[in-house]
Amino acid sequence: MSFELMSNLVGAFFTLCIFSFLYKDNPFYQMSEQLLVGISLGYGLVFTYERIFVPFLWQPIVLKHNFILIFPAILGTLYLFRFSRKLGWLSRYPIAFSMMSIGMGVPLGIHASILVQMRQGMVPLETVNLFLIFLGTIAVLLYFFFSKAHSGSYGKFVNVGKWYMMIGFGASFGLTVMARISLLIGRIQFLVNDVFGLLK
Amino acid sequence: MNFFERIQKLDRRYIYIVVALAIVIPLMIPYNSDNVTSPPTENLYQMIDSFAGRPDRAILLSFIHDASTMPELYPMEVAILRHCFERNVKVFALTWSPTAAPIIDFALNNVKEEYPDIKSGVDYCNFGYKPQALAMILGMGDNIATTISTDAEGRKLESLPIMNGITNYNEMNLVIEFSGSSAGGAWFVYARPKFGLNVAVGVTAVMAADMYPYLQSGQLIGMLTGLKGAAEYEKLVDVFAAYREPTRDYSIKKDANGYKLLPGRPFGKEILNDASTQKLIKITTQTKAVFTPQEYAGFVKKYPQQTAIFDNLKTQEGDNVVVDVTKITPALRDQMGEIAFADINRMTRNTIYKFKVARVGMNAQSVAHIMIILFIILGNIGYFIQKAKAAKV
Amino acid sequence: MKKTIPLFVVIFGGLIFVAYAFSPHKFLQDDFYNKFYVPWSYAAAPFAALLGIISLSMMHTSKIKRRAPKWQFSYFFFAGFIVTALAGLIGGMQKGGLLMWMFENMQMPMSATMFSLLAFYMASAAYKAFRARSMEATVLLVAAIVVMLAQVPLGVKISKHLPSISQWILDVPNLASKRGIGLGVGLGSVATSLKILLGIERSYLGGGD
Repeated sequence: MSFELMSNLVGAFFTLCIFSFLYKDNPFYQMSEQLLVGISLGYGLVFTYERIFVPFLWQPIVLKHNFILIFPAILGTLYLFRFSRKLGWLSRYPIAFSMMSIGMGVPLGIHASILVQMRQGMVPLETVNLFLIFLGTIAVLLYFFFSKAHSGSYGKFVNVGKWYMMIGFGASFGLTVMARISLLIGRIQFLVNDVFGLLK
Repeated sequence: MNFFERIQKLDRRYIYIVVALAIVIPLMIPYNSDNVTSPPTENLYQMIDSFAGRPDRAILLSFIHDASTMPELYPMEVAILRHCFERNVKVFALTWSPTAAPIIDFALNNVKEEYPDIKSGVDYCNFGYKPQALAMILGMGDNIATTISTDAEGRKLESLPIMNGITNYNEMNLVIEFSGSSAGGAWFVYARPKFGLNVAVGVTAVMAADMYPYLQSGQLIGMLTGLKGAAEYEKLVDVFAAYREPTRDYSIKKDANGYKLLPGRPFGKEILNDASTQKLIKITTQTKAVFTPQEYAGFVKKYPQQTAIFDNLKTQEGDNVVVDVTKITPALRDQMGEIAFADINRMTRNTIYKFKVARVGMNAQSVAHIMIILFIILGNIGYFIQKAKAAKV
Repeated sequence: MKKTIPLFVVIFGGLIFVAYAFSPHKFLQDDFYNKFYVPWSYAAAPFAALLGIISLSMMHTSKIKRRAPKWQFSYFFFAGFIVTALAGLIGGMQKGGLLMWMFENMQMPMSATMFSLLAFYMASAAYKAFRARSMEATVLLVAAIVVMLAQVPLGVKISKHLPSISQWILDVPNLASKRGIGLGVGLGSVATSLKILLGIERSYLGGGD
């Protein structure tokens, strides 16, 4: 038995452990679930240590004597006070530090998700489709505007937005079905081809 | 309990068995099918293809996903890498997510195996895992080599040949993000307004519908939608980038004026709709190279020493000349040489499994979709009949 | 001290970042961002990861101590965690090492399979829950069926026009509805960012005084 086949069989075993949940909850599934969390966390720890801690904190301080980085390291350790009831407020400092960058998101976010989208919503209505998009966008926006009662002719217009959304959700739903099936296909391709293809 | 009540209360495990069978059977029995390409895929293909053979252009692939969405995204990555390697497009890869780092290696190694001439650091470069996405996205707008500093193998980027002619987003003009969650957001929010970078995405089908406003506004120049997008891209690569003219000699790499000659052919909508294209996109195993007499004459002209071997192998089928590659014995293969063998093999238009994974999967997807639709219809019929009966009582 | 200083840091630093997004000035782009903010946030980042590790480990330890339901399986969590961590810290992260082998042959197949279970639930829901109870639900289902059929090769065999109809659905009504919703979400998230920036929204700092 080759090493590759053995590795694939290990993968196949855990794949089947998880699939066994479809029949009913069982110890194999529980075991795999906890192992999955444990391995992910272990991997995360090693990755953080090797790719972030060593190159961006240890080496700059120890090899390059960039001692100023001791301050952010202390700032980082304040995170751990989260567990203390009395000194928990100290963990607010590193959180505040990481929250600063939200300032950049305001102007750039306004640009990308509001201004550009509005500009595209206001192009000359040269084709029927552009008109339909324009109509739909306005109707959907008004549908979520609750300061005016949805009644009378205004209510009828706002209702158009609901139909647009139903079609939109339908499209999302159809694509979601596709996505879920694709994931299963991927796993079965692994079992059929990578594992049993080799056994042949 | 009547029949309709009973099928309404069918145990879910029977449904699970039907689902499993609907996927396993079509995977075991492959058949030829055609995935119609959609504009978002074609646009991305054309954009990447416009960089073909240019030393001053490159693309960046950003891998932001873990194994859970691999079945949808991995075939896309393979197809795009294959396109780049076929058509000499410089390609970079990176990730902000630790779990995606092994996936980049998988994809690169998997495709590279089939392209012995393609070299790391010359034709492609893996930047590997980089923390702090935002700093990198903004920094690369200024200078890629100084921002990224070292690649995944620890080499200084400045000293790599691939960086010749590549400074910042002016040259590395396109980024494609593969993601099950972020979908290029960081790139088109931060890098597009500031640097005018072109952004495309390969997303899971779940989030594809939400991306259409960004496609129309040009914030995204193209998109691959789940397994279908991957299947479309595989097809485009087969029809254009991996296409080989039977009569052209691909060992000649430069034309009379010294311009680089690229293998493959440029994108053309009319070629896609042409009936002859159907021959190029078969996903069942192909062993016969079919030529018109003129094509055959042109083909053997490239191999004067092997003409006799090919003439012995050929058979006549209708108007066409056919060479069956299964008849080439190892001894005959030695005699004809690897170059001629690879060429005749390519003329069978056979695609190896790893480059048609998505299309094989789409066959199963077909059956599964029909099944789900039948489930919805059956469930509704049962529901309405039951409701009608309840109303009567 | 407990809340005012962190709030001040967010407001002051946030405003610098607003300026950073607008101005190409060297102080903002280089001195503030590249030389201060980036290295500092790298250096602080590992501790945030440590926080997650400690908190998960504490949860499982208490599960074992309390003999909570299925407590025995928490040992598998520790086994997985300790073996991978040791394999990585001692053996390194290179391809072919034990850490990468475990990741590629255990973590990756398991997490991929976990998500693929959704396909089964989806099929079961399609049969048992997706009912055309109202006109709205019918429209939703019809749009979904058209899109589903148009995506696959067999659907195209049923009608040549399906792909263009599906593309129209995605390009026009879907686009309009998603743009409407997207604008709402965009405005909402900008408003939330502004509230944080101006110190009105403080819940991210946690409760207490």
